[in-house]
Amino acid sequence: MTSTSPSIGFESDDDRLSGLAAARVYLAENSSLALAGVLVILVIATSVVEPDYFSFAGLRNTLLLAAPLGILAAAQTVLMLTGGIDLSVAMIATGAGYVAGNQSPAGAVVAILLGLLVGLLSGAANGVGVGVFRVNPLIMTLATSAILLGLFTQWAQSFLSGSTAVAPFISTLGAGSFLDHRVPYSVLVWAGISAMLLLLLHRSGFGRVVYGIGDNDVAMRLAGVRVWQVQIAVYTLAGLLAAVAGILLAGRTGAVDLQLASTFLLPSVAAAVIGGTSIFGGTGSYVGTILGALILSVLNSLLTFLNVGQAVQQIVYGSIVLVLAWGYAQLTGVHR
Amino acid sequence: MTPTRTVPIPAFLRRNAWDLGIWLLLVALVGYYTTLIPSFGDFQMASISKNSLPLVYLAIGQAIIVIAGGIDLSIGSQMVLSGAVAAQVMDERSFVATLILGMIIVLGGAVLNGIVGWVVNVSAVPDIVVTLATSFIWSGMALVVLPSPGGGTSPGFRELFTGSEFGTGTNYVNSMVMIVIPMVLFVYILRRRRVGLSVYAIGSDRNAAYLSGVDVRVAKIWSYAFGGAMAAMAGLATMAITGIGDPRASVGANATLKSVAAIVLGGVALTGGTGSIVGVVAAAIVLFFLNPILSAKGIDPNTAQVMEGSLIVIVMMIAGYSEHRRRRAT
Repeated sequence: MTSTSPSIGFESDDDRLSGLAAARVYLAENSSLALAGVLVILVIATSVVEPDYFSFAGLRNTLLLAAPLGILAAAQTVLMLTGGIDLSVAMIATGAGYVAGNQSPAGAVVAILLGLLVGLLSGAANGVGVGVFRVNPLIMTLATSAILLGLFTQWAQSFLSGSTAVAPFISTLGAGSFLDHRVPYSVLVWAGISAMLLLLLHRSGFGRVVYGIGDNDVAMRLAGVRVWQVQIAVYTLAGLLAAVAGILLAGRTGAVDLQLASTFLLPSVAAAVIGGTSIFGGTGSYVGTILGALILSVLNSLLTFLNVGQAVQQIVYGSIVLVLAWGYAQLTGVHR
Repeated sequence: MTPTRTVPIPAFLRRNAWDLGIWLLLVALVGYYTTLIPSFGDFQMASISKNSLPLVYLAIGQAIIVIAGGIDLSIGSQMVLSGAVAAQVMDERSFVATLILGMIIVLGGAVLNGIVGWVVNVSAVPDIVVTLATSFIWSGMALVVLPSPGGGTSPGFRELFTGSEFGTGTNYVNSMVMIVIPMVLFVYILRRRRVGLSVYAIGSDRNAAYLSGVDVRVAKIWSYAFGGAMAAMAGLATMAITGIGDPRASVGANATLKSVAAIVLGGVALTGGTGSIVGVVAAAIVLFFLNPILSAKGIDPNTAQVMEGSLIVIVMMIAGYSEHRRRRAT
């Protein structure tokens, strides 16, 4: 195993690298390019398997899946940058989507706001647990997820019973497209969120504090940052993002149930990891996560077209996630 | 987790305060349970001890991996995989054959997860990511082996874990023995053998362990192999209790979450290096035991789930906050 990370610049100044090693160093410094390469290869592979795929209709289906996944992975990325993780994103998304669907008779705006409220409250609860009470994020969010599942299962039989069909506006948002049915609206939502998030992370003081806490939270505290407040803020933000993703998913399926987003938990972590965000905090960017979410979505389409059955699909999916993460770690020399 | 007091208390009590506390909690819960139901007898004892077996095994496995500084999010999927394999190959076989097959499956689980530990070593990918990916692989393989719930095993094999050839009965000796054997075995390995001490060493400080001559990579692989063996045992126990294999991935995901909750309640720090198997076993039984208690109180399963989650959060909040206060005070 070779460790390249700290010495790259030094070596390349001193002695000339061979072509292959130079390419490797270049890719390590521009890891998004490597990810984009993987994405292109996957799109081409899918087009070979299913020639119809390389069209607006085919790619649109992938994007409809990628948008909610990308937004959930955004929540995961922000938290992972601070050294945290959220295993409740899928349940928060499910709850938000369920509430939005159930309250649809009250109008789309009210429904969406109530859905977002679910995300806000659940995220804030996570933030208080992690920030104030120092509960390990893994445990805190796991428990939140279990509590939410219990609560919503109960509520679905009491005051949230009844309508499970979503309002037309929400289903347009989740499944509809514009420009002659080519670009989904959900991608528009995703693009807006991405732009805001990139500004927040790379062009604001808050973003620097997020990276700083992930790097060394003690140093940040000694530098005068109220770490617990930042943690409450990022977990709340993650809850809101998860809620947005859940509402889009509710719109995509058209009807809500309590399994809405359950399959998205592991891919949301995987997308961020493939994109190069360290699970230990401090390094990574949402750009990588966007590519990670796209790669996983195309992979999903590819496996669906191959028609290999659920079991083999899972094995291949897991193997490829592992290989990508492995390759990324070797390429960039990210070591624990 | 040692409380700071001015009154001197015996070192043994101080060192094992958390373990003792959790065992006392278990005893208190059993006492409370006897007042809740009209008759508490052998049947209830058998039901509790046998049904907590899978979670106890998973928690022991997860605890060893976490003590070594890792975490295994695929442990539930491994349980599902080994249960599926067992149900498929053990169907309609003699007791001796099923016993041998069971040993092979446990060994296979150890080898398989040992390979995962090796991948963690050489890939430099965090444990949580590697095991996330392998959880997909194992649950996919379970579906390949056993496409729908089914299969079976010999009556003797069911009796081994449950104390009854049909999976339900009043004999609680077998399942209690099956709890105690792995507990004693792993307490011995972790506290008295070189490999066990190196597991603690790499979890508490990998670099210090390396500098003092511990082969950190081998210790990592051993921790995963132990975890895999216990996950396979959990699969065998589940299959022995229900009599069939169940390949559904959701079963595995749920079991993984419970195993993490159990070890945390049992006093294992997720940062590695501390915790004991004794506390973890009690915590796993407590966690399972909440279900019959809450249902005896007439609380529906959903509320029970909310209360279970809240309990874990409250325990962790108290533990985390007091730890934080103490560290600031010093």
